[in-house]
Amino acid sequence: MQGSRELWLAGLAVALITALYAGATALAGIPAASGFLGHSLGVVGFLLMLATETLYSLRKRAIRRPWGRMRDWLRFHIFTGIVGPYLVLLHSAWEFRGLAGVVTLLTMLIVVSGFTGRYIYTAVPRTADGIVLEAEALRAEVAALNAELESGDLNDADRQRLAHRSAAERRRRRLERQIGSLASARRMLSLWHSVHIPLGMALFVAAIIHAAGALYYATLLR
Amino acid sequence: MTRPLGCLTGAGLLAGLLTALTIGASAAFGGNALFSPGELNAVAGEAPVGGIDSHADRSQECGQCHAPIWGDQRMGDRCLACHQRVADELAVVSGFHYGYASAGNCRDCHTEHQGPQAALTLQEIVNYPHDRTRFMLLAHPPTGAGGAFRCMDCHPARLGEFSTDSCEGCHKQLDPAYTVQHLIDFGPGCLECHDGVDRYGVHFDHQNLVFPLEGVHLELRCSACHAGARDVPALQAAPARCFECHASDDIHSGRLGQVCESCHTPQTWEGATLDHRLTAFPLLGSHATADCLGCHVERQWSGIPRDCTGCHSQQDPHAGQFVRDCDACHSPTQWSDLHFDHQQSTYPLVGAHRKASCSGCHENGRYVGTPTACIACHAAEDEHDGRFGQDCSACHEPTTWDDVTFDHNLSRFPLTGAHRSTACLGCHKGGSFAGTPTACSACHAEPGIHRGVFGLQCGSCHSTSAWLPASWNGSHSFPMNHGGAGGQCSTCHPSSYGQYTCYGCHKHDPGDTEKKHREEGIGNLSACADCHAGGRGEGGDGGDDD
Repeated sequence: MQGSRELWLAGLAVALITALYAGATALAGIPAASGFLGHSLGVVGFLLMLATETLYSLRKRAIRRPWGRMRDWLRFHIFTGIVGPYLVLLHSAWEFRGLAGVVTLLTMLIVVSGFTGRYIYTAVPRTADGIVLEAEALRAEVAALNAELESGDLNDADRQRLAHRSAAERRRRRLERQIGSLASARRMLSLWHSVHIPLGMALFVAAIIHAAGALYYATLLR
Repeated sequence: MTRPLGCLTGAGLLAGLLTALTIGASAAFGGNALFSPGELNAVAGEAPVGGIDSHADRSQECGQCHAPIWGDQRMGDRCLACHQRVADELAVVSGFHYGYASAGNCRDCHTEHQGPQAALTLQEIVNYPHDRTRFMLLAHPPTGAGGAFRCMDCHPARLGEFSTDSCEGCHKQLDPAYTVQHLIDFGPGCLECHDGVDRYGVHFDHQNLVFPLEGVHLELRCSACHAGARDVPALQAAPARCFECHASDDIHSGRLGQVCESCHTPQTWEGATLDHRLTAFPLLGSHATADCLGCHVERQWSGIPRDCTGCHSQQDPHAGQFVRDCDACHSPTQWSDLHFDHQQSTYPLVGAHRKASCSGCHENGRYVGTPTACIACHAAEDEHDGRFGQDCSACHEPTTWDDVTFDHNLSRFPLTGAHRSTACLGCHKGGSFAGTPTACSACHAEPGIHRGVFGLQCGSCHSTSAWLPASWNGSHSFPMNHGGAGGQCSTCHPSSYGQYTCYGCHKHDPGDTEKKHREEGIGNLSACADCHAGGRGEGGDGGDDD
């Protein structure tokens, strides 16, 4: 449960947005993409998606001046990666024509790709800061855990230490599993990157052109 | 060197570049269709506008309608640049678009990019001042998508057109029977009478008109009263007076006039509630509960005589004796409730007459010509057997027979003295008054003391006050004051005035007198006066005979 908290929060946000959208629809019909509400959905959704990519990517590369834990940034990345595209979907007013339809389609593809990548990502062992651990480091950690588990210092009557022991055993099993699939996981992650990143770039370029077109035709302000 | 963003990979940059190129190529070769949110309307208008038949003719030229953001023009300005007719309407008060539309809000009502056949006007124009069409939408409020009414519900072809087929279509579904009949009655010109609000619209209430509907009128078809009406003036000219519609219903054949509501209500013809008090003949007494047809025979409601004999002539027990109407004596409550004032008649009732029954005097119902003379009624009661004539009132008061006011002093025998207090019958034996003798002796028998001496003229000596004292004024052969008798007759006449005695006086002691006269040889001592005439003594001097 702790590991998927961002999914629950995103689900909650989606539910809340859905309720508001349904209310607006009941009052005045489906918000047109060119209307104030429709445009707002699109703009906010686009900014969230932009944040999804840029902020997490920047944090990953800010090793010397880390701000926040990588795990939290990943959660933020997942949260905005769900809520942002959902707003963009609502902005479409359920019409998928022209460039706008392409943008919507790319958005949905990016979301699916992101979900896939999320599970590939977790198959690669990392430090708490998201640093990819190599096989040697994993084996060293496993050895250390083994030594801890086998030491006679463990007091079975001590519940705190017993819990710690259980956690250490789970960590050891996962590390051992990751060691077994480490090579394939890294290949999968690399492959995913080669698809996800161009897809994302295509989406941003298309979205920017779409926004530029909307601004040019100025139907919102005029 | 680490890239600031993970997406800036070669593949990523290439993908972005390819995307931009693809979009640019599509826009260049696809006529900007890539940016179109939908196809433009392709329905040709009535006439070309701005040189084109439909917007679709300019589908490749977005800038024809979409002004750039940095320009001065709005899209609405470009709409009006082509749609000159609308621009003209905006400037004319009577224009369809005047007052609510402008170049800044075309899109409030009009849309595009919804497809070649899609309407260019929204279905829900909630702010359009529809009352300017002289048909308000209070009964047909547009409430948006899914609401009660949309423009196209009534204007299926185009907004500027209207056919009452739209009215019929909906209203036949709402109320088929009424609508069909209404159309038969008034024809299809709905707008001639209906304006959606104040004229027979949703707020129309017949009850607020000069002719509120009541009773059976509520159930009638409109055309029953508004026959043939095809517009408002004709509807308002519907007859409002009962008789204008109900002349053929008049069972009175016009005899009661034309103001039906005087008696009838719109609820029903039956049970008319005429307020008879408002007529010339208010119903009083038994008339109030009498059956209407008792007087109004054969429903003859007018011309009924208002005098009593008009209805009651057959009931007249007086056999037409009276020339005055019944109500001169009878109240309308019942025949026996009389208010005849006998005192106002020629024979006011006084005394016992006031308590007498009518029939006591008016035998056999005879009133007119009833005699007023006492004897006419009281002949059988005349104790005088007619001796006093027939005018009882000369003596009797009408209270009782005993209440007599006869003035005896006016008779031949005025009552004086003790006669005044004597009972009438003391003299009038047997109740016989006339012919009663006036001589004293007729009533007073001569007493033995002077029988045969004075005759029967009692009054010569007696007064009517009392027998005594009596006074004798006639001749008396012997001095009446002899010996100081003082007129006391009984001194000398103790038993009869035909005889006398001298021994009534103590001076004339019988023994002494006999002794003296015997000495004188006088033996007859029974006739003293023969010798002592004048009461004188011996020798007749009588003065001093002792």
